Amino acid sequence: MSLLDKFAAQRALQASLAQTGGVAPIATPMDDVDSATSGTIGGRRMILAGTNNYLGLTYNAACRAAAIEAIEAQGTGTTGSRMASGNYAGHRALEQALAEAVGWPSCIVFSTGYQTNLGVISALAGTGDYLMVDADSHASIHDGCKLSNATTIRFRHNDPENLDRRLARLGDEAHRALIVVEGIYSTLGDPAPLREIVDIKKRHGAWLLVDEAHSFGVYGPRGLGLCEELGLLDDVDFIVGTFSKSLGGVGGFCVGRHSELELLRFVSRPYIFTASSSPPSIASTREALRQVLDGHGLRAHLWRHAKRLYAEGKRLGFRMGTDTPAPIAALVFDDRTRARALWQALLDTGVYTNLMIPPATPSGVSLVRISLSAAHSDEDVTHIVSALEQARHTVFGLG
Amino acid sequence: MTVLSLADIEAAIRDALDTIRPGAVGLPGNADLTQEADLDSIDVMDLIMEIEDRLDLSIPVETLAQARTIESLRAGIHQLNGGKP
Repeated sequence: MSLLDKFAAQRALQASLAQTGGVAPIATPMDDVDSATSGTIGGRRMILAGTNNYLGLTYNAACRAAAIEAIEAQGTGTTGSRMASGNYAGHRALEQALAEAVGWPSCIVFSTGYQTNLGVISALAGTGDYLMVDADSHASIHDGCKLSNATTIRFRHNDPENLDRRLARLGDEAHRALIVVEGIYSTLGDPAPLREIVDIKKRHGAWLLVDEAHSFGVYGPRGLGLCEELGLLDDVDFIVGTFSKSLGGVGGFCVGRHSELELLRFVSRPYIFTASSSPPSIASTREALRQVLDGHGLRAHLWRHAKRLYAEGKRLGFRMGTDTPAPIAALVFDDRTRARALWQALLDTGVYTNLMIPPATPSGVSLVRISLSAAHSDEDVTHIVSALEQARHTVFGLG
Repeated sequence: MTVLSLADIEAAIRDALDTIRPGAVGLPGNADLTQEADLDSIDVMDLIMEIEDRLDLSIPVETLAQARTIESLRAGIHQLNGGKP
């Protein structure tokens, strides 16, 4: 077997997903994007319902103005790491704003959300420590574990009892264990049972990191995420998040209740050995954070859409990925070809969603994932529901 | 820690395999599970989690990252459990 032979299976998979003359469902080429919720794909106008742009802030006037002003004043990029020439006042101000919002002493901003998990997890847990990670965690969490020298143990997705057993096996060593969970899991949109996990963490004397990538801006009175929503901010050790979802930029952050987090700057390789975020990205994120913290109206709008789409999905007989409404509505299929057909049918009626297939999905299921935005209008949601209704008829021959 | 016998470990592996991929339970010990049972990387990790539950043993992800056959899984778990290689 030679170097490149291992790619044969991937080539076959991509060929099976491609459709002659059609738009690729994976890495779909966007001709143009012209608002938080609209663009052109394959020469056709689309409602964008697969972008993680939960609050629609990518086109917010104040965020855009802040980014433009930052470019004019500070240029397009920093060309340096935070440990060298890329440690600008804006980066430090954003860290301070995030730390103050949560009420904790320390925050570190990273250049992407992926690098945040890579940099935080790999540096927090070292030789002799343990990482207890949910089996359905995002790739950035699993890769952070790989980069660390700690012992990684997976527990069953959203199964506190399973986690409890694994921590019990560690005995006193559980004091060296960092539990890593997500507030909302990105594929199905399901929340973590955080109350139970906090209880287990306390009982075993372990540590807890919650990734609020998909829940920041969306849950909690000030949009700080599921920990805030459930009143658990006093019980969690670290919160990580991304700028590239509800905050509408690029980058990531970790907030910690322990001041030792500051020292990660000197040991976290994904923090040290990369250029810092560009001035416009930091500036737009600072403004977006202000809007998130004061974003009751945006969140109320988003949740109204989420509840409506969830109810309509149920009514139409789709298998939903969650038991309750969420800004991510995942339509679940055991059969990849049916998911592919639905994705195409929605695209044909002007709705762009995400097709997700194994091994990027849990339990071997395939998904059509719809993510909603506060920037969607009621008419947009009506269009999405109509597209689902029509697709149900044309693809599955139902009603 | 009670040292599990190779037979107990193999029984747990085959039982777990039956859950993940019914029909693959009778595969020879040296069969590549990614090829013969069509397991992808996530399936292998799920298989290991099923084995953990059956043996009441935590198996670090990195311990069996390269194991792709019933025999290599058995050997890795045996060693982890305190058995001689």
